[in-house]
Amino acid sequence: MSRRRAYEDDDEDDLRYRKRRRMVSEPQEIEDKLETLIVRVGEKSTSSLESNLEQLSGVLVSDLSNFKSNVLKILIDCAQKMPEKTTIYSTLVGLLNAKNYSFGGEFVEVLSKSLKDSLKNQEWDTARYCVRFLADLVNCKVININSILNLLENFVAVTSEESIPQVRGDWYVFTVLSSLPFVGRELHEKKDQELDRLLRQIDSYIGRRRKTHLPALQAWSSDTPHLQEEYLDCLWSQICKLRSDKWTENHLARPYLAFDGALSEALQHNLPVITPPPHSTEFVYPSPWVVFRLFDYTDCPDGPSLPGAHSIERFLIEEHLHRIIRLHHRERKQCAAALLSFHGKSKVPFEYMITEVIFGELFLLPNSPHLDICYGSLLLELCKLQPSTMPLVLAQTVELLYERLDTMHTNCIDRFCSWFAYHLSNFQFRWTWEDWLDAASFDHLHPKPMFLQGALAKCMRLSYHQRLMEIIPQDLQQFVPNPPLPKIKYGENAPDDTPGLAISKKLTEAIKSRCTDEEAMEIIQELGKTSPGDEAMDTGANFDLLKVDVFVHTLMAIACKTMSHSFAGIAKFHFVFKKLSQGSDEKQLQILFSVYEIWKDHHQMMQGIIDKFLKTQIVEASTVANWVFSKELKGDFHKPYLWEILHLTIRIKIKQVKKLQSDLEAAKSRKEDDDEEPIPIEDLERMEEKLDAAQSELKNLFLIIFQRFIIQLTEHIAACEAEGTDFRTQWFRWTVGRLLEVLFRHHEHVFNYITTLQSLLFSSDVDPHILAVYEQFLALRN
Amino acid sequence: LSAYRDQHFKGSRAEQERLLRTSTTLYVGNLSFYTTEEQIFELFDRCGDVKRVIMGLDRFQKTPCGFCFVEYYDRADAENAMCWVNGTKLDDRIIRTDWDAGFIEGRQ
Repeated sequence: MSRRRAYEDDDEDDLRYRKRRRMVSEPQEIEDKLETLIVRVGEKSTSSLESNLEQLSGVLVSDLSNFKSNVLKILIDCAQKMPEKTTIYSTLVGLLNAKNYSFGGEFVEVLSKSLKDSLKNQEWDTARYCVRFLADLVNCKVININSILNLLENFVAVTSEESIPQVRGDWYVFTVLSSLPFVGRELHEKKDQELDRLLRQIDSYIGRRRKTHLPALQAWSSDTPHLQEEYLDCLWSQICKLRSDKWTENHLARPYLAFDGALSEALQHNLPVITPPPHSTEFVYPSPWVVFRLFDYTDCPDGPSLPGAHSIERFLIEEHLHRIIRLHHRERKQCAAALLSFHGKSKVPFEYMITEVIFGELFLLPNSPHLDICYGSLLLELCKLQPSTMPLVLAQTVELLYERLDTMHTNCIDRFCSWFAYHLSNFQFRWTWEDWLDAASFDHLHPKPMFLQGALAKCMRLSYHQRLMEIIPQDLQQFVPNPPLPKIKYGENAPDDTPGLAISKKLTEAIKSRCTDEEAMEIIQELGKTSPGDEAMDTGANFDLLKVDVFVHTLMAIACKTMSHSFAGIAKFHFVFKKLSQGSDEKQLQILFSVYEIWKDHHQMMQGIIDKFLKTQIVEASTVANWVFSKELKGDFHKPYLWEILHLTIRIKIKQVKKLQSDLEAAKSRKEDDDEEPIPIEDLERMEEKLDAAQSELKNLFLIIFQRFIIQLTEHIAACEAEGTDFRTQWFRWTVGRLLEVLFRHHEHVFNYITTLQSLLFSSDVDPHILAVYEQFLALRN
Repeated sequence: LSAYRDQHFKGSRAEQERLLRTSTTLYVGNLSFYTTEEQIFELFDRCGDVKRVIMGLDRFQKTPCGFCFVEYYDRADAENAMCWVNGTKLDDRIIRTDWDAGFIEGRQ
């Protein structure tokens, strides 16, 4: 295409740009315009990418005299922050370098410097994108091939450093491997021996890595139908395959190929020596992960075929899709549109790849990058945009997930329940439930019935009991939760000899006629004051606990209409709650047992009430933990709601610590500020004490939880050994899953207690099967 | 921010804008009359910690009339709900969320 033609075909923006340049000379405006032009190159346009690049480089070269530093800054930004357009910007830099050698030199210098900085500042993603960009600059004849080889060699050399955490070596190798799809061919053609040596080093590193973390991070423990592979193993296989394919791949657009003539005459630059900063104990490297595999080509028989698990295209396209989600996750419509309009050079079944990538994030362990609902609403949007294919692919996905529940990670089962219920609530709960009749034939702790129960519980929360009963086939109705009604203990049907019944009736009257909290307290205190020889006395009932029980049952029964009524009741009678339970674990525990008794069938209500109890400090976090593990709740031990309550408890405590921390920091900084009234030193000391107390409460909470887990698991193993049966039961599987969940969800905090945990709880005398779980967790950072 | 504004707001326009930008409360519209508070808690809790839900009530009959306010503890959680709940379904109806300058007793 001639230059002139391209000029005429130019898209609107460039035209506007030229017009405006003639009219205004405001430097700010031109700067802004330059930025838009650079950022937007490669987007949809009426003319070809090559002609746009050619033109843009022309415009930029002419502006270099006045705006060099701006152009440099913008291009560096694009190189670091838009890895999905690496090859576009490397071409642009190549063209600029061909026209202006010194500019190319400066660019390389600044990018090398920011690579060094990002390594120092632990900005791992940015650093990886820099390396990849530098590698691709070799293809654009900006960087000398020996330089990049040196860089990669220096990175791989990290693997022979002694006494470093494995995650350090992993990151450097991962970075090298993920730049090879870009520069591999060039290296193979010109530096084959050196490339061989590099790959041999990597091979030996891959072979000696520990993989303790693997079982804890796999969405499925089974290798069939698809291996859930460790990320570095997987990338290594993909690179090996790429190598055997003579380093040709089908995905990356390489616009620089069109400028072969112009670029081949350019002079190249040498990179400064970039050595990885030495390891320091403060460095936190990215944790390892497992590649989520749901589909293979047999799952998508129509249309283009799915690249194999070990083809580099699978890696490149997935990386790109993850990137789109990361960029647009807060704009679900844009995100869905960007995902669906994404096309590489190769034809692949995009609906399947998008679905696999989204579920890969939703099920990512230890934690999903975004909230569940972010993926849920993104999938809804995709169904809306692609109604002829997406719903079908999703239905197929749900079928596959259901079929593979047997070995699914327990944390993933929860997320699956929660997403599925949300999704169905947007489609009138229409589903072919009959396909799942097999669930009724399994033991109740088997993942299939557990999934159905969990999903239906969530469905009910988003709709109502009657609705589900109308939809769910008879044979599966056993999995529909009971109607969420209160169990009134001191009501009209209570036997006359129920202890405390008279007081409860009196209290009911008083509360209904809007008594004050003091008046209510007086009525409660009448319990146990009656003359000796009273029946209740004879049975030796503990009056303090009875008082709690009568009060909680009576108040909650009156306020049972909605959650708001219950919350208002708790707020109004806060004083009574505090007074009745003050300073006693036993009495606080009784509050929880009483709430459990009345709201056994309304988990959401129980959760809401306990949340309020914690926030208003009626009940302590440690009490909730003891309650979750108490023998009274044994029957509910594996119901998801109980774990939601436990995690909520931990979250509240963590939030409290954070709040006190930031308050203290704010107070301290105010002290340094002369303009304002300084805070008295006693106040600061008091704040510090409070923070210390909250921190030790949080630590204590974790210790209680882990201790209870160890006790339960140890008892289970001992009981099975005594009976001579295998301890790896469904019960064991779920309990270990819950333990991992606590470790995973709050890993940032738990890592603060490593030394205590090791010496007090997870010591060598604990059963190796329990210890293994803890070691899997530790491997996230080792 | 969208074009929706509370018509009964007492105070200047600028004041209202400022409150809207820092608010942790959402107005939720187009609810079914049968949607309960619990359902709203369930959906909105997926975006963060909900402090309270206030059902919009009919002035005379004191029955739900298709809107409510959802108040979060944190602004970021309310923003999440604007991103991911706005325009999706609850009880088969597409619900709409918008910023609210904060609930004052009597507005339902």
